[in-house]
Amino acid sequence: MTEKILLVDDEKDFLTVMSERMTARGMQVTTADSAEAALQEVEGGSYDAIVLDLKMPGMDGLETLKAIKARNPTLQVILLTGHATLEKGIEAMKLGAMDFVEKPADLNLLTEKIRSAQARKMVLVAKQTEQKLKNILTTKGW
Amino acid sequence: MNAGPNRVGQSGLTYFGRTTASISHELKNALAIIKENAGLLDDYLLMADKGMPLDAARFRTVTGRIADQITRADGIIKNLNRFAHSVDEPIKAIDLNETAGLLDVLSQREAAMRQVTLQVCPAGAATPVTTAPYLLLTLLGRCLSLCLQHMGSGKTLTVKVTKGPDGGRIEFEGLDAAALAAAGDFPGENESALLNAVGAECHLDGTHGCMSITLSNR
Repeated sequence: MTEKILLVDDEKDFLTVMSERMTARGMQVTTADSAEAALQEVEGGSYDAIVLDLKMPGMDGLETLKAIKARNPTLQVILLTGHATLEKGIEAMKLGAMDFVEKPADLNLLTEKIRSAQARKMVLVAKQTEQKLKNILTTKGW
Repeated sequence: MNAGPNRVGQSGLTYFGRTTASISHELKNALAIIKENAGLLDDYLLMADKGMPLDAARFRTVTGRIADQITRADGIIKNLNRFAHSVDEPIKAIDLNETAGLLDVLSQREAAMRQVTLQVCPAGAATPVTTAPYLLLTLLGRCLSLCLQHMGSGKTLTVKVTKGPDGGRIEFEGLDAAALAAAGDFPGENESALLNAVGAECHLDGTHGCMSITLSNR
């Protein structure tokens, strides 16, 4: 199944080349060069995984992560950072990030994580649907 | 063991750490782009192995991108080198225009992260002062960080060099009254120690919205 990815980074040259490489691997890629643009995309579309740079001008990666999860808790976010520390990783996981990758990221590794993200999201969406159905059956009282 | 606070030394170390962290982050970004573009060339070759024709124009685009990022990384390393050499001599005759220029390139990323445009206006002529070059850079770095912190996004911070009769002045312009008020009791103890070490004075001008550092050769 084609993975739908939102790639967020303020480095436009990085977005261009990553987008091309990921598309060549069969993924459907949308790019955003700021947190604000990313949040607009999240409002308008559904993604299997969001690959998000930790350090961006204005709203940074962790604040963006919080805002994304507030809009849609099922969205899976993989953070990209220039300096991966255990402390940052723990903070990111507490805020709901699925994973944490140090730049320059290995694309094969990132692809594996994206596929995991897609699978995890499908499970969460299925659970949500099941819960909604239960609520309907309970409240309608047929 | 308590030798008392070494404010000048600690300020210098803090500025060193912050600046080299910023430089390393920029280099990581350039390297990441080079790596991915090299990977893209590999992707094209793999496709060619499977029978797809090689597109020379696309190849050239990618190699051009790699060359651009190498130029970028080289520029970053040159700035790092200038920064490293600012500690070569504890006291030295320097040109404030060059110091402002170095401050500019070292601070561009910090300004971008705050969404503030940073611009430098050098003096029309060389502006020599004798001072501690690295400590002056540390002091100016602190002034600039304070301005960026309180300015708000979308603004322009101008670093202007003015030659004086016996020295020179560096002004940080573009601050509003709110930003200057938020600066609190600047200069604090650390900044005062740095001002003393470099032989400079600091003034906050609410009317014209600027902070100035004046150095004299007297």
